[in-house]
Amino acid sequence: MLIEPISRTHPDTMLRLSNVTKRFGALAAIEDISLEVRRGEILGIIGRSGAGKSTLIRCLNGLEKPDQGCIEIGGRDIVPLNERALRAVRGRIGMIFQHFNLISQKTVESNIALPLKIAGWESARRKARVAELLELVGLEAKAEAYPAQLSGGQKQRVGIARALAASPDLLLSDEATSALDPETTTSILTLLKDINRKLGLTILMITHEMSVIRAVTDRVVVLDHGRIVEQGETERVFAAPQADLTQRLLAAAQLGLESL
Amino acid sequence: MIDLPWIALFDALEQTVVMTAAAGAISFILGLPLGIVLVGTAPGGIWEHRAVNKILGAVVNGFRSLPFIILLVALIPVTRLIVGTSIGTAAAIVPLSISAIPYFGRVSENALREVDPGLIDAVKAMGGGSWAIIRDVLVPEALPSLVAGFTVTLVLLIGASAMAGAVGAGGLGDLAIRYGYQRFETSVMVAVIIVLIALVSLVQAIGDRVAGRLDHR
Repeated sequence: MLIEPISRTHPDTMLRLSNVTKRFGALAAIEDISLEVRRGEILGIIGRSGAGKSTLIRCLNGLEKPDQGCIEIGGRDIVPLNERALRAVRGRIGMIFQHFNLISQKTVESNIALPLKIAGWESARRKARVAELLELVGLEAKAEAYPAQLSGGQKQRVGIARALAASPDLLLSDEATSALDPETTTSILTLLKDINRKLGLTILMITHEMSVIRAVTDRVVVLDHGRIVEQGETERVFAAPQADLTQRLLAAAQLGLESL
Repeated sequence: MIDLPWIALFDALEQTVVMTAAAGAISFILGLPLGIVLVGTAPGGIWEHRAVNKILGAVVNGFRSLPFIILLVALIPVTRLIVGTSIGTAAAIVPLSISAIPYFGRVSENALREVDPGLIDAVKAMGGGSWAIIRDVLVPEALPSLVAGFTVTLVLLIGASAMAGAVGAGGLGDLAIRYGYQRFETSVMVAVIIVLIALVSLVQAIGDRVAGRLDHR
């Protein structure tokens, strides 16, 4: 008989944060954050720069250790884990970045294969998996290209393929469209939404753009000065924003001032 | 044909090439790990360790502040221990390497430090440890700069090997001193200078070409 990890969380909860605080010196980057991400949903976290979004996402894969609180992924608290155990957890979480963070000296193929190489896959298996992923993101023709030969949108597609390589349970997206033009942003968001539907992949998306939240997320968390000021179903929040900041972010979005 | 001691000239060229190539290879093999440790133990590095970083940095600076001619003589006991003799081409490889290792170590440190920290984060985020960071990010990303830095190291070694005549290692520098200076044979001096310029130009051209080929940024 299999021994299941003991969990008080709902079986549909992928990720649960309870009272998570992370301080840098006297400054609390995030304070008393509690939230849940359900299996298969796209959760958006929005806030202005300095709101603590990046710290939050770095706590989720153990790149930062919170000072307080617990972070349960699939029912297991990752905060007390040592570096070795955290590495295994990170192998199950994909991440995409604002500036793509591709290895410029490696081909598209090798970039996508990297998480598999780290996970110890054999070369033949890696090759087959990379071919699947290239097809998924529509870059079959670019396997041998280097990142410098790609457009921003193509680079992010490589980033997405790389993040999905090891079939993660959770995808973290850190301002993944913030360096892209509006048209490319739309195509990347469409791709993420597709992947979410096709693979049932849980996505946690950090952004400072309301338009991104509206386009793809199921629920949204609004972060200000390291605290949650509002959270709920995306439609509800857009229809009737409660917090001051949410209202201001929405007004700015309507004026097209988001990038300011 | 111009009246030159051709055999002595070819022997000297061979000795210089052997000393440079051997010391170059050793300095690459030991200097690169030294650079990796210097970057890794620096603040924010993968093995952040203040004391190790400081001590290693001080040792590197210590060796680098000694002029090669002094190192050559000061290291005679060490050379004798490693090679069995302190005289000859093989013996000169020891001080040449010991002077080039810290140099190439610093060169690698600088090259590795330029690697985008976002890439290190990306590899950490996919579950990679120190070895993956070194193998898949630091070294490949810094490779063109490492090759360019290694070229500079080789050119420096060609220059330093000219002093190796002081321990009977021969080489082009030794030839120039003995024939060109002590015997007033200006033609030998000129020939050595031409060969040295050709050698350095060749090394630099190959280095530039390889670095360019490897650069996909």
